[in-house]
Amino acid sequence: MAGNHSFSLHALALISLFVMAAPGPAAGAGAVYREAYPRAAIDPSRGIGGAGDADFGATLQYWQDEKSLEQHKQWIGDPEHEWKLNWKFLDFDRTDDMHPGYLALEAGEKLFKLWAKREPAFRTCLGEGKTDLKGLAATYPKYDPKLKRIMTVEGRVEHCAQTALWETFKQGSPANNQISLYFKSLSAREPIRVDTGSAEIMQSYRRGEKLFHAKVGQFNFSCASCHTSSGLLGQRFRGQVPTTPFGDAAHFPTYRLALGDIESLQQRFMRCNLQARTKALPPGDPAYTDLEVFYTVLSNDYPVSVPSAR
Amino acid sequence: MRPIFSKWRNLVPLLLAAALAGCVAQPGKPAQPAAGGGKGTDFSEWPCLSYTLACGRTPNRKPVKQALAGPLGGDPARGKVFANERSKGNCVACHLIQGAEQPGSKGPDLSAYGTWDRSDAETYALVYDMRWRNPDTVMPTFGVNQILNDQELRDVVAFLQSSK
Ligand code: HEC
Ligand code: HEC
Repeated sequence: MAGNHSFSLHALALISLFVMAAPGPAAGAGAVYREAYPRAAIDPSRGIGGAGDADFGATLQYWQDEKSLEQHKQWIGDPEHEWKLNWKFLDFDRTDDMHPGYLALEAGEKLFKLWAKREPAFRTCLGEGKTDLKGLAATYPKYDPKLKRIMTVEGRVEHCAQTALWETFKQGSPANNQISLYFKSLSAREPIRVDTGSAEIMQSYRRGEKLFHAKVGQFNFSCASCHTSSGLLGQRFRGQVPTTPFGDAAHFPTYRLALGDIESLQQRFMRCNLQARTKALPPGDPAYTDLEVFYTVLSNDYPVSVPSAR
Repeated sequence: MRPIFSKWRNLVPLLLAAALAGCVAQPGKPAQPAAGGGKGTDFSEWPCLSYTLACGRTPNRKPVKQALAGPLGGDPARGKVFANERSKGNCVACHLIQGAEQPGSKGPDLSAYGTWDRSDAETYALVYDMRWRNPDTVMPTFGVNQILNDQELRDVVAFLQSSK
């Protein structure tokens, strides 16, 4: 805790790299030779429903709700079958009412309340003018017509910290993750509702879908190489078994035992990129934002499932 | 349905201590990439997902069917090590091979590859770059993308050929 200058309002520290989620040129544009993994058909209007398709392991029936999880709990710890539960048995207090996700959430609540008390504009900024934040986070990511960009929960927290607190809570920082976790917890068990009727969201979704299939890195892997059934989904791979991309966005930020800290969805993207020897991008990068939109549309209709631990 | 099992329980006191020691108040610290660490973890010479960085426009290397120059001259014992080593070939991540611990399940069983009657040249070319045979393979492009160098590839091929 030594040297903690973080609560001071350093006024002009705002010139941080504040990346805009503007549509960039899609990877592979032009004459450059870029490979893509074969696309499995995904209908974004089905939300979580696509997790029932064989292309993605057809696991929805095992984890879609409390009853399904309960019926298959004998798979927990069984290396053959555990992956089919999509780790959803680690959300909320299904395994333990004291897991570290709760501690992270408590930390986030404290931090949020401290700042919101000091500067009420922080709350109204997160609430887009309102003081009640309940249910809001379930609608993220969303297009913000005033800022003219796609906002994720973490992006909103960063933005509001900058504009209301003059603080830099960079995406991926502990403060940002903790507050984002608290913000999301105010929508816990609300079904995720990313607005697939929004043109901007759908453009971002399409870019994200393209990134999901782009082969990158030294291994020449795409996300789809590991997270679809024609790839490594459901296969033992380095002592792990990659699972379906459906439903993932619901439980982030999550507490990662291996890291001893909470991590955001985009920090998980970083780790997956690095694992496949690919340049990782900073949280908040427009490409990761598009991937997050894609991932969260694939969680539509599934309840926000924080706190969680993995 | 809770608790099904409790893998956290004995960790909680530890983590609580860590939390009290200051995880509440560390705003603004940039995220650390969690994996890797040390040199060679930047990977920006390979294609990436960025819209702005140069690697976002770096092409994938095209599929090649690489010819094997001269006799194989590989060392099966060294090949066995590379094939089982995570930082090297890591064939074991997807294949059952000799000496495997925790083998992967995606690729075919190669533990008796030496009985398959495959030529050194074909095997070398396949490990070098599987894409000439299957453009949609998930097997990494070991030769083209310099995951293994020429001698390491020869060693791995010698190992496969010796697996009987
Ligand atoms: C080399 C294989 C591999 C690649 C490539 C890969 N992942 Fe993963 N990913 C894994 C494994 C293994 C896990 C851990 C098991 C699981 O939960 O799926 C994982 C986990 C995840 C999770 C967390 C799932 C959860 O339940 O918490 C997300 C999100 C994710 N990956 C997204 C991506 C994205 C996006 C990409 C592409 C940028 C990607 N992955 C590329 C192997 C991979
Ligand atoms: C990410 C998974 C993966 C890794 C890692 C991997 N392979 Fe493969 N390999 C496959 C798959 C899948 C196939 C099936 C062929 C295809 O994809 O078209 C295959 C096929 C092969 C074949 C051809 C077998 C046949 O039926 O003709 C050989 C030889 C081979 N691999 C050798 C290796 C070696 C040697 C390594 C390590 C240097 C390795 N593989 C690493 C996935 C992998």
